[in-house]
Amino acid sequence: MGTVISLAFPRDPAPGGHLVDDEFAAATAVVESLFQELDHTFSLYRPDSEANRLARGELLLQNASAAMRTLYADALDWRRRTEGAFTPKRPDGVVDLSGLVKGHAISEAGTSLLALGLHHWCLNAGGDVLVSGSPLPGSTQPGSTPPTSKAWQAGIVDPADRRALVAGYALGAGRRHAALATSGSAERGHHIWRQRGAAEEFVQVSVAAADVVTADVLATAIVAGGAPMLDRAADGWDISVLAVTAEGELLATPGFRS
Amino acid sequence: MTVRGAVSAALASAGILLAGWQAGAQVAEVQAPVAAMSVGATGGAAAGDGTSGTGSTDSGSSESSTAAGGTYTGASVQTRFGSVQVQITVKAGAITDVKALHLTDDDRKSVQISNRAAPLLRSEALAAQSANVQTISGATVTSDAYLTSLQAAIDAAHL
Repeated sequence: MGTVISLAFPRDPAPGGHLVDDEFAAATAVVESLFQELDHTFSLYRPDSEANRLARGELLLQNASAAMRTLYADALDWRRRTEGAFTPKRPDGVVDLSGLVKGHAISEAGTSLLALGLHHWCLNAGGDVLVSGSPLPGSTQPGSTPPTSKAWQAGIVDPADRRALVAGYALGAGRRHAALATSGSAERGHHIWRQRGAAEEFVQVSVAAADVVTADVLATAIVAGGAPMLDRAADGWDISVLAVTAEGELLATPGFRS
Repeated sequence: MTVRGAVSAALASAGILLAGWQAGAQVAEVQAPVAAMSVGATGGAAAGDGTSGTGSTDSGSSESSTAAGGTYTGASVQTRFGSVQVQITVKAGAITDVKALHLTDDDRKSVQISNRAAPLLRSEALAAQSANVQTISGATVTSDAYLTSLQAAIDAAHL
């Protein structure tokens, strides 16, 4: 199984400044190497990964790499903040940071793109999105004060029909949110460990947030924790949520209304 | 490991990276013709059929004809977050909209009250069905699924 990562740039990142092929190649190379590096460390599908040595008990957490320990600490922090809905441990006790790694990887990739001097892009890794700037950097929205440029429009796929969209959301270009993550059981089967007793209320949950890790973690937590977690997340974080129930109905916070 | 991408005259250009994410085996290399073929199939869906599943409902038209419908405004209630007044819109007996009419904005919590999730009609979801989207959330997790996804069509359209 692999994840496809899409990276989109405007044709003209800035007036007068053409994005040349070299820059484009450099950007994709940076993103690719970063994902590969993290995959080597954290994938539970690679027998030789650090995560697997940890899972087999060959490596103790206190002897693990700084990256592993940092992410594990982050995961424990998220578990506390979501009151257990998000957890870095599988039911069998194995430390599984994959709920955090993808968001972390996207976030790091975004930082690298900014470090390359690229300010207008849209990065999509397996359906989790982080954007910067605008698809039309020079543009302004009519009637808006202060003038904002055109936002990246993200569509949210319909879990009942993967070729249809269920909603849209504007990201970046001065909007509240630059990241949108979707969790659910539609694509990979039931890969999220539900909290004990929590019914399967939502088949898909999308969360828009300022950063992609928050969006990703909370989307996962809401699928796992159901409506109580949805309320806690909407109250406690500056996010927008769109949840699709098992019956196909939509629940949304005001950010998803036009 | 394949990196595909080019800068074209289109609005935005897409580079596609296939990363062996959480994969023991190398991801199958996607040749451009294959991707182009899948686009031929899904591109049409993105532009046309894709919208039909969710319907081309016009949100306002049924408003007056439904029996248990209308807009209701609740009393202003003092809460520990400040004064809150809520208006709900009911169509065909179901709440379709919850609007906070009055909130105190002096601290962060008072605004968050309005952020609770409420039922939403598909036609009310921020119009995306026909919108020109640049990216898709939730579309794919695996590279296999990617080939038949809207995201693949979007990426290819920009190449």
